[in-house]
Amino acid sequence: MVALVIALALFFDFTNGFHDTANAMATPIATGAIKPKTAVTLAAILNLVGAFLSTEVAKTVSGGIIREGSDGVQITPDIIFAGLMGAILWNMITWLKGLPSSSSHALFGGLIGAAIAGIGFNSINLEGLMQKVILPAIFAPLIAGIVAYVCTRLAYALTSRHDPETGSKLTQKRGGFRTGQIFTSSLVALAHGTNDAQKTMGIITLVLIAAGTQDPGSGPQFWVIAACAFAIAIGTYAGGWRIIRTMGAGLTEVKPAQGFAAETSTASAILASSHLGFALSTTQVASGSVIGSGMGRKGTSVRWSMVGKIALGWLFTLPAAGIVGALTALLVKTGVVGVLIAAVAGTAAVLFMFFYSRKSAVGHHNAIEVEEAGQAVRFAKKKAMARARANAKAKAKTKTDTPVIAEADTDANAEAGANTSKETQR
Amino acid sequence: MKWLELLTVAGATLIAAVTVVVLYSLGVRLTAIAADAQQTSPGIKKSFAYVCFGLCSLAVLFGLYLIIPYFSG
Repeated sequence: MVALVIALALFFDFTNGFHDTANAMATPIATGAIKPKTAVTLAAILNLVGAFLSTEVAKTVSGGIIREGSDGVQITPDIIFAGLMGAILWNMITWLKGLPSSSSHALFGGLIGAAIAGIGFNSINLEGLMQKVILPAIFAPLIAGIVAYVCTRLAYALTSRHDPETGSKLTQKRGGFRTGQIFTSSLVALAHGTNDAQKTMGIITLVLIAAGTQDPGSGPQFWVIAACAFAIAIGTYAGGWRIIRTMGAGLTEVKPAQGFAAETSTASAILASSHLGFALSTTQVASGSVIGSGMGRKGTSVRWSMVGKIALGWLFTLPAAGIVGALTALLVKTGVVGVLIAAVAGTAAVLFMFFYSRKSAVGHHNAIEVEEAGQAVRFAKKKAMARARANAKAKAKTKTDTPVIAEADTDANAEAGANTSKETQR
Repeated sequence: MKWLELLTVAGATLIAAVTVVVLYSLGVRLTAIAADAQQTSPGIKKSFAYVCFGLCSLAVLFGLYLIIPYFSG
């Protein structure tokens, strides 16, 4: 059970990584500040570094939502297993739909559902839920959106130059914002690494303590830190291209100055929230920033239907992950057979979604049509193969129990072939 | 409910982001001015632009300081 939970936790870390690449890298990719491949590599390295940087561990995984400790309930590996299952499946579904949704909320949802099914309704701290999940979900995009709006307005006002006599436009050099984007998006990626890899480390440590292999109150062991760091880095490198497409091109059209404003707002909101005490979700902050910056630039339209879809996704995150978590918890309660059924069903669902996604593959080559997309597209075949191989490797690493390597390899070749035919069609 | 904390976070976000964006925009504008053909002293404008970018990189460094717990505790 412990090994299973650890494997699942690492896979969650992986999905978290590729789900959240978009937060940091969608806008720089969209404006052409960084090439797609470089962007995910940069994000992966920063996530890796970030995971190692911080040694401060999230003491409780549930963060005050589930009553724990002597007066409350004991979180067992079973509950965590069920919770992770819910979180992973929801992450996969939203990725398939290309919706940016908060990985931590999915985790909370899964754990809440599992706790309700496994222990009972009184295990949930409603006030904690309100304060940690529901209110931030409303305010994170609001704050980030308003700040990004103001920043975008300022950036354009300050850089707009007209000839006083003729009224014609002078050079504005707004492309200079691209350089700035590299730094602000890197900050976001680094902050993400320090925060999100921590969650998985906390979970694994909790399980190890619960299993009695580690002293209570001790920090995560080195192999746990390393495993989590690499899982999130590999996930980031795999790149959730569907979500990057949504964030970079689906919500609004992003120009360098606007992208810089959005990234700066995201970075400041995340840093402010993590250091002044009102925790905000990275994903929700980043989405809010992109929307706000889209409203701030003249001549852009925000695609509100897409915004609505994302909001709906957020609304469903908690209950959907909760239901999966609850079902898994009920299955696990029945004993070893239940655990096996849950594990097999979960693996099957993840694999199904993975192969289903291949039907309409979204990769770095077609995620966003950038101004400089010309050269990025030309080498699509080689890169697609490399990406598919990286994907297969990542899958194999996180799921050593399933023989996906051979399958994925042949699949990679098939996909590369399909890509070239697509390329010629275009 | 932690309304005060929420307000602090919102305020800090606004101030930080606006400061960085204004500085960077000024830098961009100054580089654009310096690049104009009939400019009498492009060198000074350029150096002012670099001062702006430098202040921005200070802000980024402060962000790094906040992220890395080794420094900020």
